[in-house]
Amino acid sequence: MGIKQISAFVENHPGRFKRLTDILEKADVSIRGFALADSADFGIVRLIVDKPDAALEALTSEGVLVKAADLLCIELPDKPGALDQVFDAVAQAELNVEYAYSLVSTYIALKVDDIEKAKQLLVGKPVRLITQADLQKPLN
Amino acid sequence: MPNKLSEPISVVSSDLPIYNSAFECASREDIRSTQFKLIKEQIDLAYNNVAWYRERFAEKGLEPGDIKGHEDIKHLPITDKSVLRDTYPYGLFAAPLDKIVRLHSSSGTTGKPIVVGYTKEDIEEWRYCIMCILQMAGVVPGDRAQMAFGYGMFTGGFGLHYGLEGLGCMMIPAGSGNTERHIMMMEDYGTTVLIATPSYAMHICEVGEKLGYDWEKSQLRVGLFGGEPCHPKLKSEIESRMHIFCTDNYGLTEVMGPGVSGECLASRNQQHIMEDHFYWEVIDPKTGEVLPEGSVGELVLTPLNKKGVPILRYRTHDLTKVTTETCECGRTTARMDKVRSRTDDMLIIRGTNVYPSQVEDVLSSISGASPHYRLVLDNETGMDRLTLMLELEPQAFTDSVPQMEDFRNHISDKLRGVLQVSANVKLLEPGSIERFMGKAKHVEDNRIK
Repeated sequence: MGIKQISAFVENHPGRFKRLTDILEKADVSIRGFALADSADFGIVRLIVDKPDAALEALTSEGVLVKAADLLCIELPDKPGALDQVFDAVAQAELNVEYAYSLVSTYIALKVDDIEKAKQLLVGKPVRLITQADLQKPLN
Repeated sequence: MPNKLSEPISVVSSDLPIYNSAFECASREDIRSTQFKLIKEQIDLAYNNVAWYRERFAEKGLEPGDIKGHEDIKHLPITDKSVLRDTYPYGLFAAPLDKIVRLHSSSGTTGKPIVVGYTKEDIEEWRYCIMCILQMAGVVPGDRAQMAFGYGMFTGGFGLHYGLEGLGCMMIPAGSGNTERHIMMMEDYGTTVLIATPSYAMHICEVGEKLGYDWEKSQLRVGLFGGEPCHPKLKSEIESRMHIFCTDNYGLTEVMGPGVSGECLASRNQQHIMEDHFYWEVIDPKTGEVLPEGSVGELVLTPLNKKGVPILRYRTHDLTKVTTETCECGRTTARMDKVRSRTDDMLIIRGTNVYPSQVEDVLSSISGASPHYRLVLDNETGMDRLTLMLELEPQAFTDSVPQMEDFRNHISDKLRGVLQVSANVKLLEPGSIERFMGKAKHVEDNRIK
């Protein structure tokens, strides 16, 4: 098990992203990281939040198209080469990373085919696996 | 009252009542001879009382007595919508105005509307036609029918209202608009039949879902749709989400209003023509030539029982085909394919003829494509450009930009294959396309002429 990501479909025009963040604010959901993938006329917003179930429910009830996925989340030491080590291990195992993005702090989230396998690869590396419970804690 | 069905089904047992089985299940010979007797009376009525028809007969060197059999009907003058405009308001009336008990009109997109008048007898005949099509749709006395059409000059509201009352239904004349009030009334009054345009029914469905209303538990059983063509995919979507049967009925103000033909629960893509009230022909829209049974062409209708405004051979501009084979429901009256396109909603895009119904057929064949769409045309670059704005269905959203783009390209390729014109596809969030209370607006033509 990794952490839960929520993806939402948005049309590319002003105010569409804000609509999502408004809904999340009203649902008292805190965003821990996000990435926006876009094509010419639509976008997919990927979100990692403290309370994914509450976020999913709030977005769905407002008619937003959403999908949940499991991602691997790790905390890296704050020093040069840390990210390189992760991708080195992943590449050697020929594990495919569909996409990855950074979260608050030195957290990065990776979309991989096989989360359990990726976790094992990182055993012994100076990184810490992040759980949904970690994300739920306040930052300061 | 029949129970609400938890799962919509396509064919219902033939034990549903037929309002006038003596005619609706008569032999084809009897139907044809009844029609000929009635059309002769209409010819005399029009010839003797309407100057416009007398002039057309004279131009053709024709007299009512020259129509001796069915094969002569094609010689009668054609009536087009423009005639009703040119003779506005009373030029085609055959009855004196003091015998007219009601007027209805149809909004003209340009200039004057067209207006028709009904005598007391006309109103009775209209009520009869509606009662027949109600029973085709499975409506029975005791049903509680909620009207979501506007009343007023439009024929849909009053036309169906009278028929529903005539059959013995409880009428709830809610009228158009105020969707939340409609839902409240449905719940409080135990509405079993909803009369609406299909796009407004969809809107009611969605608003109800948003309010947490459980359509499966509601008593609503039948949707009576009209006013605009109903995309088959939209119909099945409403049927499964509202747990009702959706039936389309057809009619037009110029020849009466709703009640010209109706869908029975045995042949869901066709409608039985009320042949004791309408003589039908299918013509080639270009040459005007009458086509053999089964050919697709423009429907031409002659009302057979009119007293107020007789109309001979009215060009509907609706494209369809007709069969006279006996239906599984037991009726022998002719069935027309549901009208999906009109001769005048054809778009010419870079020299190619395109009908919105072709786009609907493409969408029906693609899972994940919703029936909610709009075609937008512009020529900013000097060339006609077609864009399909399409709402995504939830299951089509995949969280991957390449997959979404593949989905979009797939729709675009299919459209090009069918239309022979390339189209951009723009994917929209659910609910982005406005739901209309009246006719859905499927085309936005922004081309500068």
